[in-house]
Amino acid sequence: MVVGASLVAVSAARADDGRRPVDDDWPVQSTGPLAVDAGLVLALPATWQTGLSSGVGVGVTRGRRLAWGIRGAWSSATESSVLWTVSHDDFRLRAVAALQQPAGRGVFALRLGLGPTFVYEHRTRNQGARAGLTGSDLETSALATFPGADLEAVVTLHVVGRWSIVLSGGPTVIIADGALSGGWTAQLGAGWQP
Amino acid sequence: MDRAARRGVAAVRRRAVCGFAALLVAGCGNLEGFGGSAPPLASFNVALHGDLTPLRPAGVPDVHALRVALVWGAQWLTEPFCVLPPESTEAGAVIDAGCRDPFGFVPAAVSVSVPIDVDAPTMLTLAQLPAADVMVGDVTARVAFGSLVVFDDRDDTGTLELARPLRAPPGGPREPPPEPGGNPADIIYGASFLTMTAPDQRVAYREGGFDAASAFYPRAGCDPPLRGFSVVAAGGFTAAAGLASALAGTLPPEDPSTCPVAAPSDATIEIGARAPADVQEVGCDERTDDSSVRYREPPVEAPDLASRMMACAHLPSFDTTGGGPASDLVQLVISGRSFDRCKGLTHYTLRGCREDVNCPIPDWDFTANPPAWWPCGQ
Repeated sequence: MVVGASLVAVSAARADDGRRPVDDDWPVQSTGPLAVDAGLVLALPATWQTGLSSGVGVGVTRGRRLAWGIRGAWSSATESSVLWTVSHDDFRLRAVAALQQPAGRGVFALRLGLGPTFVYEHRTRNQGARAGLTGSDLETSALATFPGADLEAVVTLHVVGRWSIVLSGGPTVIIADGALSGGWTAQLGAGWQP
Repeated sequence: MDRAARRGVAAVRRRAVCGFAALLVAGCGNLEGFGGSAPPLASFNVALHGDLTPLRPAGVPDVHALRVALVWGAQWLTEPFCVLPPESTEAGAVIDAGCRDPFGFVPAAVSVSVPIDVDAPTMLTLAQLPAADVMVGDVTARVAFGSLVVFDDRDDTGTLELARPLRAPPGGPREPPPEPGGNPADIIYGASFLTMTAPDQRVAYREGGFDAASAFYPRAGCDPPLRGFSVVAAGGFTAAAGLASALAGTLPPEDPSTCPVAAPSDATIEIGARAPADVQEVGCDERTDDSSVRYREPPVEAPDLASRMMACAHLPSFDTTGGGPASDLVQLVISGRSFDRCKGLTHYTLRGCREDVNCPIPDWDFTANPPAWWPCGQ
């Protein structure tokens, strides 16, 4: 995004100098209602209040001022205690609706997502392999599902052609053990809009 | 698509929507995270036999809280004075009073302990592996041996406190204050591995290969410990055989029929109750493990020699360093007190340094003017 902004700024300066405007050098061809994006996801692990879960996310939306679509993300975090090394793979599936406001080459949006968060847990007993433990004494795994919601601010900056840089982030909640558990998520990636 | 088929598709859609809605409002699954019970790394079956009542030391009215602890063994060499032939009757008496069994089990670290009762099967579980400092060998082949020690936890700490020999007081300004040690309140009533000169059962933990030539509590002629945890036994060898093998650079052989190896779940470690005076040495830590000796500056005033044995003796010839001739120094060797938990020796010399008794520039030199109480001439 920073690189894109710099390119735009440099091009704008050239326009001030009487040379060709930025839209001539970096023409935007995105006109359709469909938008696809994918990128790197960083988030607080869904069921932990510590650590950093990292992975990838992808989404597709359709619409202009009011858009709807679906999103999916996978991220993973591993933490250790004296006894256990625990990995959590969080799979977030969301049906999303977004309010979008174009602004120049960019688009600002507020996106609400609802859907399940699947958490796959893998636990390894520390020192167990050295001690000769096997089977469930050494490793266990479990899968849990939690209803969740995300509210994200989204900034899309069209760079060239159908391609854009997409930055999003905001709070998330899941319902775990009957209580709300808060967190956050962020994604930086590339978008494609025909 | 006919009407019935359309109804079927609609029903499937409704179920899917309802299922998705249910998913949104109620989670499912059971994550344990860092909680829950952790499987033990190993469990050992232990049984204590015998009657403790006649074994209690004088003045101890009862057995307060009997426990069994896993104690990992140290790699230890006795000092030369204790294994060389005594040069006098007095020196022999000091060896008897102040030298621990050169083939005895020497503790390095106390691990877990659990309550135990006489003739009641007990399980001792481990949640941690032995640390690297109690394992002997390199990372491709190393092993730790442990003894299960039964003790009366009279101070209610839940663990066995190791004791240390108490030395006679040193002289000179360079000497540090007396080190902690002494006689902990815990009373030891037995151990599965007391000495290599008697049959034993020991806990073994092995990583990688096994060096059959290792002299770390050797079991020559026996099968090696299993990888990971195991219970191994040894029939023991005589002290004479042990010394002869040490001089020959070999390991004293064991009778293979006396040294089975078993997985922890397949063996029961049997411990017989013994008089504390006979087994308390298994709870005695050592300051040094390489047979090195700290020679000390004699105090100006005579140390309290009550309840101690003493002898004047020449330095062992291989205590000299630098390839020079044997020292002509005569040392005063003093045993610990007769009531101390742990045996130990104190060595005084009229000349020397803290780190090397034969140093060329001594830290102290009283050879021309010994303390008035010095009994060894010079």
